[in-house]
Amino acid sequence: MTDALVLARRALREGIRTPEAIIPTLFIPLFFLVVNVGQAARIFPGSTTAFLHGQGYGAFQLPSSMLLAASFGSAALFLIEDIVGGYFDKLRATPVHRSALVLGRLLAEGLKTLLIASVIVALGLAFGISIASGLVGFFLLIGLTAGWAIVYAGFMQIIALKTRSAAATNSAGLVFFPLLFLTPNFVPRNLLTHPMEVAATINPVTYVMEALRSLILQHLRWQTIGLGYLVVAVAAAIMLALSVRVIRNYD
Amino acid sequence: MAEVEGAQRIVRAGSGEAAVEVEGLVKTYRSRAGTVEAVCGVDLRVEAGEIFGFLGPNGAGKSTMVRMLTTLLSITAGFARVAGLDVAREPDAVRQRIGVALQEAGLDARQTGRELLVLQGRLFDLSPRDAAARADELLELVELSDAADRRIKSYSGGMKRRLDLASALVHRPEVLFLDEPTTGLDPASRVTVWDEVRRINERGTTVFLTTQYLEEADQLCDRLAIIDAGLIVREGTPARLKNDLSERLGREVTLDDVFLDATGRTRTHVAGEVQEVSAHD
Repeated sequence: MTDALVLARRALREGIRTPEAIIPTLFIPLFFLVVNVGQAARIFPGSTTAFLHGQGYGAFQLPSSMLLAASFGSAALFLIEDIVGGYFDKLRATPVHRSALVLGRLLAEGLKTLLIASVIVALGLAFGISIASGLVGFFLLIGLTAGWAIVYAGFMQIIALKTRSAAATNSAGLVFFPLLFLTPNFVPRNLLTHPMEVAATINPVTYVMEALRSLILQHLRWQTIGLGYLVVAVAAAIMLALSVRVIRNYD
Repeated sequence: MAEVEGAQRIVRAGSGEAAVEVEGLVKTYRSRAGTVEAVCGVDLRVEAGEIFGFLGPNGAGKSTMVRMLTTLLSITAGFARVAGLDVAREPDAVRQRIGVALQEAGLDARQTGRELLVLQGRLFDLSPRDAAARADELLELVELSDAADRRIKSYSGGMKRRLDLASALVHRPEVLFLDEPTTGLDPASRVTVWDEVRRINERGTTVFLTTQYLEEADQLCDRLAIIDAGLIVREGTPARLKNDLSERLGREVTLDDVFLDATGRTRTHVAGEVQEVSAHD
């Protein structure tokens, strides 16, 4: 674990020294939030829309923006730089556990997302959104977002290790858009058309989004929150196992 | 401490122990065009304490050999032992005892030289304090103390190469692998690297060095092997290889002639593959 922490520290330093890689991670999700709220807020007024629990439509849309921010991590692209520049071989030639080579960047990605998610929530609060589940809910909210960031960055790192190509890794990142839009992104699941409801039900991102949304709109609903965390935990375990396998067979 | 450890290693060097032992080493790659045999059954022995040169034209299999011996590439067939350890079976233990500086100086341009060396030390289990002290020691050794807190992206090619060399020495390795350590350097930087390599070797570290520069091999190496198309075609001390060819041809020869004779190339054919650069002390 010490090796993973040492490498996480290096990845954080790398992120801080490349602010141009962080700014879009914050800007694009906020842009989508403003556009989506601008387009649909009048259709779903807070005073008469039951699923908003008394808040505005921005509170309903906030989880989408947080998940989008969590899926914009640059860990895999920094990894490609290491691979192409030869530094990854330097790290592979050290006796650290192979999982540490993957985990270091993922831990850093999780920490970066904690900060970015906090900024997004803070901006939401400034525009009248409230976190109905309170301070505990706030920590669970940013914790779950960071967990998803780790999962997604892990998936991207696997693509990076397999393809060793920035173009291929970047393209693979677009996979998130179908996953995001096959969720109850604009309305709750029970208001979706039947085919969309089926698609959303089998899409694991749905449960993460519903957990985030419940934390913003309602008091602590442990079953929904637990399901979101379970999805992230299972996805993280699968992703980590695959990453270690890929890195062990890396030639 | 480094001197004491070095002295112990020199004693072991005299014991006839092999630092690198390779038998029937093979590496094949599968590509869309078919199977490529990069290394085709190499046998090699490098004694502890030597500077061993590994020469060959581009694509001959030098870097593939180094990558296999340093655990970075899987071995298709055959057996390799480094610092007394089986490379395929005990890769982590091998990594503890070797230092590696590959063809492209693999550095993280966003870190400072000091940060890079401290990180490397931490990954070799040094405490934060020991890693910092070792970084200072190495920065002085490779004459980069003044640039220690500058980001690596501002370093010149020669500085990057010296830092890469220093990072390979953080844990005082028994065997140091240098893959074309002076390629792309100007003559002055090349001489500096040669001096470092000699100094490192004098402290007891075995050096396995690949190079395209024949003069470099002649100046630095106790023994050398020439690889061509994945096979060893000559092996011995530079003097003996030159003497053997000289006797055969009945005239004075250089290491260039040995290389050309061994690889079946002509000077025209070899242009661009092997270069000779004069860089006298």
